[in-house]
Amino acid sequence: MSSQVYSDMRAKQKRYEALVHAFHGDIYRYAYWLTRDSTIAEDIVQETFLRAWRSLDSLNDEKSAKSWLITIVRRENARRFERKQLDLVDIDDVHVADDAFHANAESDHEELRILISRLPTDYREPLILQLIFGFTGEEIAQQLDLNKNTVMTRLFRARNQLRDMLGQEDTNLRGRSNG
Amino acid sequence: MDDLEFRRRVFADPNTTDKDVTEAIRQDSEKAQLKSSLQGLDAKLSQAVKVPVPDDLAYKLIWQQATAEFNHHKKRSRWFIAMAASIAFVIGITGTVIYQYQPVDMGGEALAHVRHAEMELPGLPVEVGLQQVNAKLAGFGGSFSAPIGDVAVANYCHLNTTLTLHLIMNTEQGKVSVFVVPHKGRMSMPDSFSDEKYHGESWSMMKADIMVVGDKNADLEPVMKKVKRSITFSA
Repeated sequence: MSSQVYSDMRAKQKRYEALVHAFHGDIYRYAYWLTRDSTIAEDIVQETFLRAWRSLDSLNDEKSAKSWLITIVRRENARRFERKQLDLVDIDDVHVADDAFHANAESDHEELRILISRLPTDYREPLILQLIFGFTGEEIAQQLDLNKNTVMTRLFRARNQLRDMLGQEDTNLRGRSNG
Repeated sequence: MDDLEFRRRVFADPNTTDKDVTEAIRQDSEKAQLKSSLQGLDAKLSQAVKVPVPDDLAYKLIWQQATAEFNHHKKRSRWFIAMAASIAFVIGITGTVIYQYQPVDMGGEALAHVRHAEMELPGLPVEVGLQQVNAKLAGFGGSFSAPIGDVAVANYCHLNTTLTLHLIMNTEQGKVSVFVVPHKGRMSMPDSFSDEKYHGESWSMMKADIMVVGDKNADLEPVMKKVKRSITFSA
């Protein structure tokens, strides 16, 4: 009896570890792009996986596990806003200083990361789901509980804005080195 | 497909393989260029969104789960022990209270006592005098106004938790016990009671119940009469 319980626990532990190894990277990145803060992202991922352990029996296939984890990350992120509503400043409202960007932009990656982080959350989130998880428009719509047309519009605007910003950065850089 | 629609489609998903998008590219090199430039951007974006994951994150997640599970077990077992202790405590209290509130069957107690007393009773040669009996009965506020017979033993004893006066008398019917039981607490006093060896009868008086117990076949009437006639209680 107790050895049965023990081996059940071992099996559950193994499944959990497999889940962690399979998804923690992408889930962390997704949390990072929601929060744009590595420390908060890590906290959210920890909470998410704790919840995953408790619900492990219902996470049967890869697709539903991924979708479940994303849902929990979003919920945990939303809870953070409820908790800190009074003293939290949304970074969307704060202009990220261009000088800081230029001082640190040593690679294309970092440049693009800063531009992505400047996208409004509504545009950034579907884009991240598409880029990280390879979700189709349909899948993103399902995950975010939106209709597909809205999702496609947001993806269009996300890339459109990124291209605009990239063009501006080029102009700025040229202006700077010329002046 | 018009320009705007084409832009919407490839901006939303640069890697789309939709038939009409593919067809539009085939017919228009500018569109092909736009799509390919967007695909280039997307390749960069795909790399850029892969921010470095903390090295030890996976191990942290596994460790925190194990710790949480351990604490959960610890908490649960602590809770369980506390609960078990509470339940045991309540059962204990309830049992005691129920036991105390259960009326004591004095008849059964008296029979048990007689059974026991007989085994222990030494062959006492000396008769206990009326004075001695009355001295003991005075403790209950009573007295015998006349001798009731040959009293072999007059002792206080406990029937359950009630202090009683137990008289053992030698009579023609054999040994007969008389118990003077002061009113106290919850007792059930049957008018008559018996087991396989003895039988007894009781009656109630102002301050006490009297029980008379003798052998199965003994006639208790003479002793009862004597006691009833003789015993009085002061108000």
